[in-house]
Amino acid sequence: MKGEHDVGDETLDEQLQALIGQPVGRGGPSVAPDPVNQPMIRHWAAAFADDNPVYVDPDAAGHSRFGQIVAPPLMLQTWTMPTPVLEGIAERGGSPVETEGETALSVLDRAGYTATLATNSEFEILRYLHVGEVVSSSTVFESISEEKQTRMGRGRFVTWVTTYTVEADEVVGRQTFRILKFDPTGTAA
Amino acid sequence: MSPVRFADVSVGDELPTLTITMTATLIAAGAIATRDFMPVHHDRDYAARQGAPDIFMNILSDTGYCSRFLTDWAGPDAMVTRLAIRLGVPAFPGHTVVYTGAVAGLSTERGVGVVDIAFRAATDLGDHVSGTATLTLPLDG
Repeated sequence: MKGEHDVGDETLDEQLQALIGQPVGRGGPSVAPDPVNQPMIRHWAAAFADDNPVYVDPDAAGHSRFGQIVAPPLMLQTWTMPTPVLEGIAERGGSPVETEGETALSVLDRAGYTATLATNSEFEILRYLHVGEVVSSSTVFESISEEKQTRMGRGRFVTWVTTYTVEADEVVGRQTFRILKFDPTGTAA
Repeated sequence: MSPVRFADVSVGDELPTLTITMTATLIAAGAIATRDFMPVHHDRDYAARQGAPDIFMNILSDTGYCSRFLTDWAGPDAMVTRLAIRLGVPAFPGHTVVYTGAVAGLSTERGVGVVDIAFRAATDLGDHVSGTATLTLPLDG
């Protein structure tokens, strides 16, 4: 039994290592459905009661270091979020759009690591965005850990890096996101 | 907002505490403003089916509140250049989330002042988020 597990682990490890550097999800880069715009910025600032005037006040922003209205830096991830298909979103487990077929994470699901817990989010902001800019993002797997025993059960940490660009492929920021894929029953292969 | 001047900042300076009394409205508003339509952030029945006691704050809102906490103190000329958070216990309606932090390091590079900050957002159940951030300030500000 232990021997079978060892062989299984090697095969799984090989499958997982082959994912490193590969895109997360399909269909290439995500392009923001709308350019950076004042209404979405105002909506965001109101949601968090963030009264930083460089986000909404042209005069104050013009006299600031930025010289014009800028988007909140941590809105970076928001711009490329897909326009959701709300019908059926609960049945899809919260996925905002229809997804078909195999995703890289399916490999982990099949190996018994069916549960997901987000553990870390890290942003590097190279510059703030201006109204009218169109953001694109592309995400690749950075690392998948060996199996670890965690508080949640046996699991593997999966890290992906999203690179955000604007026109002419200028990189404006990066996000590193880590999840724990774990076996809620404690019996992952 | 009374912006800080880089020349007046010292290691160990504490940021003003930000206290958010979490409500279903704040959680749903933050989720939709960040374009996160996962039902666990706006549909209590769905959250219950997932084993959660209520809807809970999404991660994009977490980073949003973190940046507000930083710039409420640092002012409109601050530029947040790095934010790294570790995610802890969820924030549910009725929880009070208290953001505290302090200046952990100071340097200058390429004509700007660089401020490193260590912070956490705690609830009664423990740390909701903890992490570090870096922002820059004009040197002549």
